[in-house]
Amino acid sequence: MTAKRLRVFALLAISMIFLLAWAFPILWSVLNSLKTDSDVLAYPPKLVFAPTWEAYRDVLFGSGSILPNLLSSVIISVGTTIVTMLMAVPAAYALARLRFRGKKFAGFYVLATQMLPPVGIIIPYFLVLRNIGWIDTYQGIILIYLSFSLPFAIWLLVSYFEDIPFEMEEAAYLDGASRLKTLWRIIIPQVRGGIAVTVVFVFLNAWNEFLFAVVLSGNTVRPVTVAMFNFVSVEQTLWAKLAAVSVLAMLPVVVLGVVAQKHIVKGLTVGAVKGGGRR
Amino acid sequence: MPSFTPTRRTLLKTGTAAAAFATLGPAFLRQAAAQDADLAPYKSAQIDWQQVSGETITVAVIPASYFENLIALAPQFKALTGIDVRFEKIPPAQIRQKSVIDLTSKTGTYATHAADPMYYALYAANKWVEPLDTYLNDKTLTDQAWFKLDDIIPAWRSANGIDGKLYGMPYDGEVTIQVYRKDLYDAKGLKPADTLEAYMSNAAALNTPNERVWGAALRGVAGAGQNMYIYPSIFREFGGDWMKGGKLTVNGPEAEAALAWYVDIMKKYAPTAAANWNWPDIADAFSQGTVASYIDAHSSASVINNPEKSKVIGKVAYARWPRGPSGKRTTSIWNWGFPINSALPEKKRKATWLFIQWAASAETQARTAHKFAGPTKRSGVNRTSVWKDPEYIKLMNGFGENFVEATMGALQDDTDVDWRPRVPQWPAIGDTMATAIQSALSGQATIKAALDDAQRRIEPMMRG
Repeated sequence: MTAKRLRVFALLAISMIFLLAWAFPILWSVLNSLKTDSDVLAYPPKLVFAPTWEAYRDVLFGSGSILPNLLSSVIISVGTTIVTMLMAVPAAYALARLRFRGKKFAGFYVLATQMLPPVGIIIPYFLVLRNIGWIDTYQGIILIYLSFSLPFAIWLLVSYFEDIPFEMEEAAYLDGASRLKTLWRIIIPQVRGGIAVTVVFVFLNAWNEFLFAVVLSGNTVRPVTVAMFNFVSVEQTLWAKLAAVSVLAMLPVVVLGVVAQKHIVKGLTVGAVKGGGRR
Repeated sequence: MPSFTPTRRTLLKTGTAAAAFATLGPAFLRQAAAQDADLAPYKSAQIDWQQVSGETITVAVIPASYFENLIALAPQFKALTGIDVRFEKIPPAQIRQKSVIDLTSKTGTYATHAADPMYYALYAANKWVEPLDTYLNDKTLTDQAWFKLDDIIPAWRSANGIDGKLYGMPYDGEVTIQVYRKDLYDAKGLKPADTLEAYMSNAAALNTPNERVWGAALRGVAGAGQNMYIYPSIFREFGGDWMKGGKLTVNGPEAEAALAWYVDIMKKYAPTAAANWNWPDIADAFSQGTVASYIDAHSSASVINNPEKSKVIGKVAYARWPRGPSGKRTTSIWNWGFPINSALPEKKRKATWLFIQWAASAETQARTAHKFAGPTKRSGVNRTSVWKDPEYIKLMNGFGENFVEATMGALQDDTDVDWRPRVPQWPAIGDTMATAIQSALSGQATIKAALDDAQRRIEPMMRG
């Protein structure tokens, strides 16, 4: 009894330590976003202080408002997610079920694009977009994001499709359903969880992307990850505002996470060996 | 961040403004007349400012108040020249990357950008930017008697020149000076250090970590513009020479002594965290009263005098760099300059030059500094004449005792064009040195080993 309780207690303590290590930066950001600049720098750090919405007011409605950047991020992330899913679902189904020439090669090719270090392909991408006049445009950034979100999504979805027993499809065919109808009516409802997980990961990667965005964006299209960086100026770091933007930029992701949580948990166990996306 | 192409919001704002003007007709007329008068100092230049009216150029700057002030005056430039300027704000780390990509691909996206003086060797070697003398000597483009190039701080011009040719027009710059807590120094009867040795002993005398006061702090974080911004001054003061016998040399006895001094003061008298600090962090710490002295850019004075967060206002004083064993004081010659992108068509190059001439002119420098209506005034103006303007001096003296004297003294006597090695390979060399300095500071390598290793890495870069 005591041994068991001790073990539970020890496990609990260890998980608390991990939880604290992971949650601390987020809690700290939230706290700092509610402080004035002088409170941010105070020592010892103030846990009790008069909270102010000033930083939020400034970053939302001040001269350096990030609202246009949040909008940019939404357009880019939603656009990337929709196009990715429209193409990834049929592609993944084909790779999982159909027999065609070059299938093995196609499967490998999808993976191969994941193997390049992103830093090495920024300049080629820049040149391509420059030549077709797509620098600083939504279609340009979404196109580039597709280059890594699509392989990732296909790869993730293939395993979900493969998990579905072939007999279910056969039953549908026997009842006279076409292949497309089967895909739509039988298969897709079965992989709902997998699709939800993929959507979340694709959206997250697009939302948090910085490396490509900073080079390929400009004044017209500037996602929040890039805009946020301007609060670290050469003159000073505006800690409170930086924290406020971080919290605001975190919100949509947190909301999406909570909504899709049920599926994510299931998806994580199902696809436990599949690894994460490219950040 | 804010964009300067009209967004829906700014359009809405303009709409409201237009409505306001409609009801306040007479006031609007007065305003328009005032704007005419505003341009008079520029119109006295014997050139046709309107010669490429209708052009649009994009200018990349970093997010900083000294560029914000310039952006605020852009409508005046438009009224003067008919040229539209689109500003794009890019953080300092990325502006180098983006402008180099733009220049190598010859796409001409940025007509000009806020350029790092250490990059001109690279730019000029590849003919990516224009030598400015062509523009300066063209009587249709420049009225030399009006522009007065000689008035622009000589050290910054030489920093932006290669083989005597100017490639980037200095817009805003800085020198490094000693910043110290006069109250703490006075309490112990200390004087600002005249030598590096005295700087070390001052730091020792004031270092009381138990009371959360550390003796000194210098940039510790690794980076070509971070620890490799402060170390070169020490290296030069110890008598170091980057080009020994025509060969780039970063090791040797002077280098070892310089790095030893740096590591010593950082380890003994700076907060441990300072190993990861850049200058905003140093200024933040100083403003909270935890650092007794630092050596860094004079422009940091505005942060430590910011009433919203500083606790040391009125207790700050300034002095020039302490002398090194060679007897020299060596300041940074950092400045943000504007080059002209060679990939542009001729008309746009002319438009860019007119913009540069306008931005660097004495009038615009004054209008973005003491004559600026907004709250932040610039402390890095590019002209000796402005630095001698009593109005400007009065404003600058608000930063604390001896500020103007220390800054001007450093500008006149402590500058050194060979502060850092000006070679096209600088970006890679700067990073290599930054890593070496950090590994010595963190104790991963001995001082000699760190420097010798850097030398080994740098040699093939110079051959290639």
